[in-house]
Amino acid sequence: MAKTYDYLFKLLLIGDSGVGKTCILFRFSEDAFNTTFISTIGIDFKIRTIELDNKKIKLQIWDTAGQERFRTITTAYYRGAMGIMLVYDITQEKSFENIKNWIRNIEENAAADVEKMLLGNKCELNDKRQVSKERGEQLAIEYGIKFMETSAKASINVEEAFLTLASDIKAKTEKRMEANNPPKGGHQLKLTEIRTKDSWLSRCSLL
Amino acid sequence: MSDDLPEEFDLIVIGTGFAESCIAAAASRIGKNVLHIDSNDYYGDVWSSFSLEAFNKLLEQPSSSVRNGTYTWHNATEEHGQEQGQEQETTSWTRESLLEKSRRFSLDLSPRVAYCAGSLVQLLIKSNICRYAEFRSLDHVCMLYSKELVSVPCSRSDVFNTKTLTMVEKRLLMKFLTACNDYGEDKCNEDSLAFRGGTFLEYLQAQRVTEKISNCVMQAIAMCDASTSFETGMERTQRFLGSLGRYGNTPFLFPMYGCGELPQCFCRLCAVYGGIYCLKRSVEDINWTESELLVSSAGKTLRAKHLVSAPSQLPATLATHFGDPEPRLSRGLFITSKPLGSEELNKGGGGVNFLRLLTTSGEREACLIQLSHYSGACPEGLYILHLTTPAVSSNPAGDLADFVAQLFDPNASEILYSAYFTIAAPAAESIANAATPIYCTAGPVYEQDYDAAIENARHIFSQLYENEEFLPRAPDPEEIVVDGEDPSALNEHSLPEDLRAQLQDLEQAAQQMDIAE
Repeated sequence: MAKTYDYLFKLLLIGDSGVGKTCILFRFSEDAFNTTFISTIGIDFKIRTIELDNKKIKLQIWDTAGQERFRTITTAYYRGAMGIMLVYDITQEKSFENIKNWIRNIEENAAADVEKMLLGNKCELNDKRQVSKERGEQLAIEYGIKFMETSAKASINVEEAFLTLASDIKAKTEKRMEANNPPKGGHQLKLTEIRTKDSWLSRCSLL
Repeated sequence: MSDDLPEEFDLIVIGTGFAESCIAAAASRIGKNVLHIDSNDYYGDVWSSFSLEAFNKLLEQPSSSVRNGTYTWHNATEEHGQEQGQEQETTSWTRESLLEKSRRFSLDLSPRVAYCAGSLVQLLIKSNICRYAEFRSLDHVCMLYSKELVSVPCSRSDVFNTKTLTMVEKRLLMKFLTACNDYGEDKCNEDSLAFRGGTFLEYLQAQRVTEKISNCVMQAIAMCDASTSFETGMERTQRFLGSLGRYGNTPFLFPMYGCGELPQCFCRLCAVYGGIYCLKRSVEDINWTESELLVSSAGKTLRAKHLVSAPSQLPATLATHFGDPEPRLSRGLFITSKPLGSEELNKGGGGVNFLRLLTTSGEREACLIQLSHYSGACPEGLYILHLTTPAVSSNPAGDLADFVAQLFDPNASEILYSAYFTIAAPAAESIANAATPIYCTAGPVYEQDYDAAIENARHIFSQLYENEEFLPRAPDPEEIVVDGEDPSALNEHSLPEDLRAQLQDLEQAAQQMDIAE
């Protein structure tokens, strides 16, 4: 099957329960907002292909599957992730304070060069705001990452956030490729990609 | 944080080891309300992988399932890297420089290789859990022949290229394996029937193969000893052959980043279907009534219709029902700066290789898995050697001494670190005989692949939920229709082929009905 994209990026959503990670995911991948479907169906990742500088980029965006609830994200969740959206809720002080813990978690488990971005979600609820935009900006500067306030419900900045993250990863990837130093590794096989190679008995299997 | 934990479940699973995670995922997948807890702060129980630092800590604190742990830092400085005229570089590894890279290690308690067409791979594909895992195909299956490590050829080009075998041997081997592959089919060779009831070795010898081929088949392909029955040997040979030519060059796969990833993949599926996860949560007591089990944990009483537990995670009062843990596996783990065997076996910085070994007397066996950085389980320039043998004593180093001696000099300068430990679990019979309503999993046994572990999980699942399918295929995210959307928005092309065909049949049938009206 011909590849229909130039790059495939694995992105993760991370943050406390109820900050709207799944809603952000649905806003971006389906342009839909619905508060009732969450936790009722088995969603673990969504795919959307975007175009940046004439390159087709397939974004595979993974949700936490509720394992953030008791801080039990599997280490396997972080494998191969190229970008991480750290999400807090601007109406929940606690979710903002916990960003530090999530960053520590990322440092322990994700690749060192993973691209990160901080999102303050639910910015449509300005009257219930507990975390000022400035504090969000300040924290992002502290960690040297980008920051945006978003609203999955009102569809503010969600698209922009993912495009920003994707374009930063793309720049990094291309820089690495230009340096003619592609990441070395053995062939990693997905079980779904059955590669038939010759074996002793490949004749027999044709019978 | 634990206050918002619900108190009533269909199933509570204690321990996040391989079999427990399979059961949790399977129950959640069919709509059961599952709570999955573990007293450790990591996933995987005795099936987990650890950073170097965490691994040492684990060995320092014996538990009911991991005991007799010791580790030693060897004279950790060594020069390497002059092979094949490449630019000379000197890397010296010290205890400090190894610990600095602690997190780059994934050190497995229970490492396995999986057959490419074996039960694990089949289950992962069938259930679609394979999307959470990545594998590396093993580079070489090895055997020891006159004290030397040689590669067992696994493809026609291997056979063609190998210098290990002569032309005549190559032909003999091909002929023998073709006969094995055909065994059991209608065109079955009549002369093989005479060997039923005998041993596989007798059959092999009757084929007048050379000693080298006999070694190759017994050690690596059929994985037999002198007493293995003809039928078992045949079955294993067929399993090996049936797994060739699927992924990569050998019939085996190893999970990237270590085997500890696998239980997590099952846990992820369980969570995706609504299973709740709590680590660092132990169980103080379990009581039961006619209809439910009451689990006391962290000051709360949780109620469940069924309960599955790893033997090691039961509260002490109940663990006695299942018998005392006995040594099951003796494990050795070595970190070295030089891979085992020739350059040929370790092209491009080292292979992920597998070797089955017999004691000099031929009575006991062990398996060795060599991991290079291509497995994602250790930093570049280092290699992990995993040795596993069925325990015969509480002294893992003693159990493994014979095998180690065949492979390398444990005092050689390239050995930087060595560790030994025992994996213990109650005997299978005492678990089966326990008179409680708790379903207890069996713990790891000595095997290639995960056959016994999967069978254990499947068996418990079928006792819990009779007639329910064990891990049916989970749909891909594209196939899931979001609430409130028009179901016809489901893209026809996102359906698997069989469903698409069904859909077309249905549409056709509907059209024909319209015409009839």
